[in-house]
Amino acid sequence: MTMSLWPKISAVLPPDEDHFPLHFNDKVEASVMEMLRRSRHQLYTGAPATGRLLDAQIVLDVSWEKLNMGTWRHVDKEWRRVYSYGCLFKVCALCGAEPSVDDLLQAMRTCDMGLLMGAAIMDDRLQVLVGILQKEIKKDNRSEGGRKLKLVLPDVPLIGEDQAIPRVKCPSLESFKKNYLLPSKAVLLEGTIDHWPALNQHPWSLEYLRSVAGCRTVPVEVGSRYTDKEWSQTLMTIDEFIDRYILNQGATPICGYLAQHQLFEQIPELKDDIRIPDYCCLCDGDEDDVTVNAWFGPAGTVSPLHQDPQHNLLAQVVGSKYVRLYSPEDSDKVYPHSSQLLHNTSQVEVENPDTERFPEFSKAPYRECVLRPGDVLFIPVQHWHYVRSLEQSFSVSFWWS
Amino acid sequence: MRWFGFGFNAFGQIYVGGRVNDDDTANEVKVITPIELKGHVDGSCRTKISGLGASWSRRATLHSNDRIESWDLDNDRKTPVWSMEVKTPSDGTGTPPNLPLIPDGYIALKPPFYRPLSPHLKATRLALGAEHSVLLSASGTVYTWGLGSHGQLGHGGLLHEEQPRVVEALWGMTMSCVAAGGWHTVCVSDAGDMYVWGWNESGQLGLPSHIARKTEHHPTSQEIADLSSYKEKPEGEKDKEVFISIQAFPALLDVTPSCDIKMVGCGSRHTAAVTSAGDLYTWGWGQYGQLGYETPYSDEPRRVEFFREQQMRVVDVTCGTWNTFA
Repeated sequence: MTMSLWPKISAVLPPDEDHFPLHFNDKVEASVMEMLRRSRHQLYTGAPATGRLLDAQIVLDVSWEKLNMGTWRHVDKEWRRVYSYGCLFKVCALCGAEPSVDDLLQAMRTCDMGLLMGAAIMDDRLQVLVGILQKEIKKDNRSEGGRKLKLVLPDVPLIGEDQAIPRVKCPSLESFKKNYLLPSKAVLLEGTIDHWPALNQHPWSLEYLRSVAGCRTVPVEVGSRYTDKEWSQTLMTIDEFIDRYILNQGATPICGYLAQHQLFEQIPELKDDIRIPDYCCLCDGDEDDVTVNAWFGPAGTVSPLHQDPQHNLLAQVVGSKYVRLYSPEDSDKVYPHSSQLLHNTSQVEVENPDTERFPEFSKAPYRECVLRPGDVLFIPVQHWHYVRSLEQSFSVSFWWS
Repeated sequence: MRWFGFGFNAFGQIYVGGRVNDDDTANEVKVITPIELKGHVDGSCRTKISGLGASWSRRATLHSNDRIESWDLDNDRKTPVWSMEVKTPSDGTGTPPNLPLIPDGYIALKPPFYRPLSPHLKATRLALGAEHSVLLSASGTVYTWGLGSHGQLGHGGLLHEEQPRVVEALWGMTMSCVAAGGWHTVCVSDAGDMYVWGWNESGQLGLPSHIARKTEHHPTSQEIADLSSYKEKPEGEKDKEVFISIQAFPALLDVTPSCDIKMVGCGSRHTAAVTSAGDLYTWGWGQYGQLGYETPYSDEPRRVEFFREQQMRVVDVTCGTWNTFA
């Protein structure tokens, strides 16, 4: 079925061994370099796939162990590059002969692992390969009858008039800066993302997300809140995530949340469906300095009360979310965790506070709102925020300084 | 004493094959059936191997003529990359140093090879993990230091320790053997009990591990299809399985059938133990044959039948990153 795949892949690889760069600093041991060179040599000498797969796996296994040393931030980029090369060699070995559907899916998964854990190599060649694979994998037509996200009528909390975050329709950059950004005041912006393709040309339905990105592997948070003991992170494809945690919600008591993931770097097709709000450009730096994260999950996902070191524009694309904000001036009343890792997170369960342990909490004034499709919430830097999804929801956050 | 090796062999750590035919590659890289080690030194200066230490691609060998040599693939395999003369006491007691311990210090896997160690610790054994160190003192006390992000220090937390710190949970028990894997630690008491702690990612602690209970490492389309039946499973079934990812305190690990443990060794993600009856048990990651039996992962100790079949008693074990020598 996929006779013509290999020529497409080899067309985006260097023509021969001499043009295939393998440059690393001396952090990468000679023995690993030897494995990389062996893999490269095999790529151009038509070695059997089993041997190539094995050598690629050795490169992956050895660099995986390096990636697990120390904290992620301190992992040397060279080892992330080695990991990406391992992925590249593995994908080539998988797609060399006549790949089965399983081979293709595994190749796709391998590319994603490289994109998630590795570093860009050879002009981001893994991104190019994943594009080729994406076209190759025939979408299996699951009959969902065009079912859209949004199923259950949510139990919407009543928003007190005094607490309601003000809503403003498309403010000018200047008025946004003067009235909200500079004085650090939260505001709900209306009508600022209506032009996004995600809200009109291709509304983000489950079907659309499956068709664009169903086979892609993404990190998923499992457990209701990241402060829970049982909370963990795992990797799965978007199809699996939708099957297990979006459609099958209720059958499993465990909640899954595709949260704080730079999905749009990984899947450019989805990036084309959104736009970076102009308001983000009011500060220093350009678009590249804006961190764009996806937040996709069922009803009931909770982000415990926490603060971030950057300004945040939270854009709601699908479904609705309840958000509550506390001022940084009231940090002492929200009882942040004492550990270094969670010092930016409150210990209080916002909608069910333990008033004995946290007596001051109820004295802290707050603001709240329900975000609906098309709404964008401005959360000023350091403002404590608590977020709970009321129904299946897809939000996009923009962090900037 | 004869030494056998199995596991990862991409650099000829266990034996040097011809690698003429690419079809043999897989068999050569993964050695599942133990193979007897041959001395790498030419006839004239060939000496008996009395101790062995190993890393991913380099193998350090201590020869009985008091010389420590480290072998690397960069070399032509005729001369070691690094060597050091070691003076053993001339009074004839002649106990060779326990690798990687050498007088007043130890040899690290990465340069600088020689690192000093405070003499008041009275170290008798030292084991190096990827990011932590485990020391056994003359009195049988276990000290650990280094990174603790995976619970590998056994102090109950995930913090790092700059200086050797006593593993308090083992206080009062005299330990006779320690071993450190990439991110896990194992030790054996005088009484033959085995204690494990650290990361259980591949089942290297011999405790229930998520990955070892899955047949396939990567989901296939079949598995994805299986997800549709996921909802039909009774809810409780899923909850009953308790997997251990990180064990931050020492845990007692039994081998079935129950027996006393004498020696242990750890690879980056696997563990091997020798029983007083002379059997070798292994568990953890086995992708490269380092368990001596065919399986990608095992989260319970299993006996390596080879040595029984050959009617041999295993008396010692040492592990490389992805291989095992017994």
